[in-house]
Amino acid sequence: MNYLILGLTRGSMYALIALGYTLVYGVLQLINFAHSEVFMSGAFGSYAIVHLIVGDGKNTPSWSVPFVLIAGILAGAVTAAVIAWALERVAYRPLRKRGAPKLAFLISAIGASFFLSQLFGKLFGRLTSNSFPEFFDQNAVIFKPFGAEVRVLQIVIIVSAIVMMIFLDRLVTVTKLGRSIRAISEDAPTAALMGIDIDKTISRTFVIGGLLGGAAGFLFGLNFSFGNTMGFIPGVKAFAAAVLGGIGNIRGAMIGGLLLGIVENLVPLINIDTKWTDVVAFVVLVLVLMFRPTGILGERLGRAA
Amino acid sequence: MTRPSDLLGRLAACLAGALVLSLMWGPQEGSFGNFWFVINHALFSPRVLVFLALGVVAFLAISFWPKVVPFLARPGVWPLIAGTLTVIAAQTLMHWADQVGDAKFGTVANAVANTNGISSLAATFFGGLAWAQLVVIVLLIGAAIVTGIRNFGWAAAALSVVAAVIAFIAHGAVVNRAGGADHSLGVYVCIVGYLVLMTAGLVVAMSHEQVANSQRAVNRVLGWRPGLPLVLIGAVLGLISMTSSAWFSPQNYNATLIDTNNLFKGTGLAPIASQYLLWLGWALFAASLALSGAATYLRNRTLGWAGAAVGGVGVVLTILTLYRISSLAARRGVDGAEGPWQNLGAGGWMTAAALFLIGAGGYIAATAPRFAGRTAEVDSDAVASGRSASGAFLTAPGAVRSGIMLAIAVALFYPPTANGFWQSVLVSQIGIYVLLAIGLNVVVGWAGLLDLGFIAFYAIGSYTTAYLVGSLPVKPPSWLHMSPLLAIPFAVVICLLAGLALGAPTLRLRGDYLAIVTLGFGEIIRIVAVNGDRVTNGSQGPSTQVPHPVIDLGPVSITWGLNQLQYWYLLMVFVLVVLLAFRRLEHSRVGRAWAAIREDEVAAQATGINTFRIKLLAFAIGASTSGVAGVFFASQVGFFTPDNFLLNNSILVVAYVVFGGMGSLPGAIAGAALLTWLPEFLKDQVPAADRQMWIGAVVLLMMIFRPGGLIPARRRAVELSGLPEQRQSLEARDVPIHEGAAR
Repeated sequence: MNYLILGLTRGSMYALIALGYTLVYGVLQLINFAHSEVFMSGAFGSYAIVHLIVGDGKNTPSWSVPFVLIAGILAGAVTAAVIAWALERVAYRPLRKRGAPKLAFLISAIGASFFLSQLFGKLFGRLTSNSFPEFFDQNAVIFKPFGAEVRVLQIVIIVSAIVMMIFLDRLVTVTKLGRSIRAISEDAPTAALMGIDIDKTISRTFVIGGLLGGAAGFLFGLNFSFGNTMGFIPGVKAFAAAVLGGIGNIRGAMIGGLLLGIVENLVPLINIDTKWTDVVAFVVLVLVLMFRPTGILGERLGRAA
Repeated sequence: MTRPSDLLGRLAACLAGALVLSLMWGPQEGSFGNFWFVINHALFSPRVLVFLALGVVAFLAISFWPKVVPFLARPGVWPLIAGTLTVIAAQTLMHWADQVGDAKFGTVANAVANTNGISSLAATFFGGLAWAQLVVIVLLIGAAIVTGIRNFGWAAAALSVVAAVIAFIAHGAVVNRAGGADHSLGVYVCIVGYLVLMTAGLVVAMSHEQVANSQRAVNRVLGWRPGLPLVLIGAVLGLISMTSSAWFSPQNYNATLIDTNNLFKGTGLAPIASQYLLWLGWALFAASLALSGAATYLRNRTLGWAGAAVGGVGVVLTILTLYRISSLAARRGVDGAEGPWQNLGAGGWMTAAALFLIGAGGYIAATAPRFAGRTAEVDSDAVASGRSASGAFLTAPGAVRSGIMLAIAVALFYPPTANGFWQSVLVSQIGIYVLLAIGLNVVVGWAGLLDLGFIAFYAIGSYTTAYLVGSLPVKPPSWLHMSPLLAIPFAVVICLLAGLALGAPTLRLRGDYLAIVTLGFGEIIRIVAVNGDRVTNGSQGPSTQVPHPVIDLGPVSITWGLNQLQYWYLLMVFVLVVLLAFRRLEHSRVGRAWAAIREDEVAAQATGINTFRIKLLAFAIGASTSGVAGVFFASQVGFFTPDNFLLNNSILVVAYVVFGGMGSLPGAIAGAALLTWLPEFLKDQVPAADRQMWIGAVVLLMMIFRPGGLIPARRRAVELSGLPEQRQSLEARDVPIHEGAAR
């Protein structure tokens, strides 16, 4: 049971990142390889704000904790959204205008990813495990369902992730922007003929992905640690999660993320050494793809929402 | 004109770019205790203002770009820019004398200023003449371009030659003065820059209405006599190396050709070598130069073959002589002589390169198409469309082949003159990754399958070798114990099987699903290598050293040791074999099937291609190439760990292929070579930790401004820029007639 909670925690962070991959994939049919750096920048942005508010966090009044958390999430989300927006302008739009081959986008994103990660390292130091000031008792056990221990931080992460996912789901289903996104992922040229501004919608999709990724960056940094190279591994995992759920499919990304997080944390239960965790995760991925070649929920962004 | 909002956006973009650049340029910041202080420190420094000013300049330049473009189209402008940048780069970034400090131009100049008794020419050159002459030449060419006065162009061309000679002599004086071995390239790059400037001057001087832009003008100059540029380069190189370069340098003693001759006079040197040192070398040089020169100028085939033959004999004799003197010196106990192939200066190798180039010039003259009227008409149709459809810059007859010959000469004869560090970079970074990129090019470039786990096959090749030579905890049966080179077929087969094993279940997946599965495969292989303690010895890598390769076939017996050069030439053989095979493959039935699948899998299937089998074939071929690279790697380094096979490396190899130009063999080679060279080059220029940032920026900019890559494949270039009428026939010609394509 404990493992399940851990898995949910980790999985909900994967899901938030995976949403960024899947949204971009939906509108562009491209893997945004620099999304891991968007995620990373979110952690740094939120650190700046949280650090500004609580200092070293020793004497933070308990009533302010929720506000600090919200401020952290917002700061992370906004920073990452700005980075994601800039990324689209620099690494994607010029190539689109030139009709570049698909792989060129991949490589420009990889270039941008190296660049961003090292630039952050240059500016903010290259320590791999910085931690947030501990401004509340993260490990206080709140309740114990079935003997599992549920900690404050886990509740925070899971709840905020769920809130954001519901929010996103509504956004994509109900609003005009959501309709444009779905239309573009169905058929971009036709959507353009229908009067949808493709460039603007793509740009906004990046921003939405960045918001979610940045929030995930904050939560991840709070839970584990953060540094300029933190993005790579969660990025790869989240990409796997997005594919697992059916890339381009928003609900798929959520389910894929949660599933991957749970699978990873259940590995010790079935008597496999934890050093094989990644192998198990990838084997599960391959197995799923072999039986459902387009992921658990299939591909379409529009249809799922 | 543009709207104000656009202008504002552009200004903002320029300023933002400038700000980012200033952050990149700035010092390493970073301490978490005072986070905001870091930000203040990075953002509010005088440096930022300078960069913002540069941003404004860039903004103005872009805004007035339409007014600038007509000037850029004038003949000579592009060579002028390229040459100027080359000279500036040489005089700011590169090494000038390895013995002096960090060896950069400024350091050397300071050292010269503080040294008495150095030749006055060198003193003036390093004391400011270097920059002054550049400025004068640039101004002259600029004036010639603006005013159209031809004599300025001629004068600038002549001055460029003078400037190159001055730079060379000054550098020689400094190096002689400092003593010791010098492997610096700054002066040579500088000379190349001045040669480009000379071309600019010539282009301006000779331009008229028929030659409306730089590209055409350059092609005219190059195409005037096919092969002649090579012969000229060879002549210059030969003269320099035979008169002033060090041929033999034990312990800080640099002996030129004449000194070497004196040194070995009456020491029982093999007659051919002593004759070579005495007169034969010069005779060969003169004879090949005369023959090839005449052949190219007169467009005579017989003379061309003769020149090529003499040049070839010259190369062989030069190398033989080098071997004789180095081994004799060691036998006779000359101070500091270490054995065959050791202690050789750059001179001998440069002479070999010169003879090779002269011979190559003759060969090109001998195989050039029959002369049909004036050059301008020969390729007028290719030139008429301005930038040709294939995106190729060089359309002059023989220009591409000349370039290839030049590249071969560099590949063969540059490494021996490089210092130990660069030799090891050439082998263990550049060479191996070139081989990997060529292999991956089949999968990514030709078949269009995104493989993010390519390094796994490399790992499998390495571990197979380690197993077969008995370096792993798990020993092979005694009858299977073998030397590394014999492991190649086994490694190839095993990688092939691994490729099939990975491909068979997964190749039905489409594009991005395949990417993640291959990525997972790569990680699985690495994690297995790390965790399979009993089989792979875990994260330590193979427990005992993988032995170096040995060839022992009766008369031919070569033992590879620690000398990087041997590995370099072994690698050249591998690359050559793979290249020849793949060149055939590219335009074969299979190659065209790959292209078809890449463009449209459904349509390819509909035309009767068994897409699954063809894709599997691409996978297997790519994997086996990677396996060869793995064998080579294992036996070269001896010890390796699973950390050599990170996911990052897989991604980087994909980046090399795409950076170079997907689906083009020269592109893959150039991309891998450039991007593996760049980090080592940047080591001198920026803090080591920042290198990846600069590389990322370079890759990003490259993809933004040239999405097709460095040297795009012709087919892909056509896709990007459309297919003009006249080129269509050329495309169709790819298909052999008997295989029944429309002509």
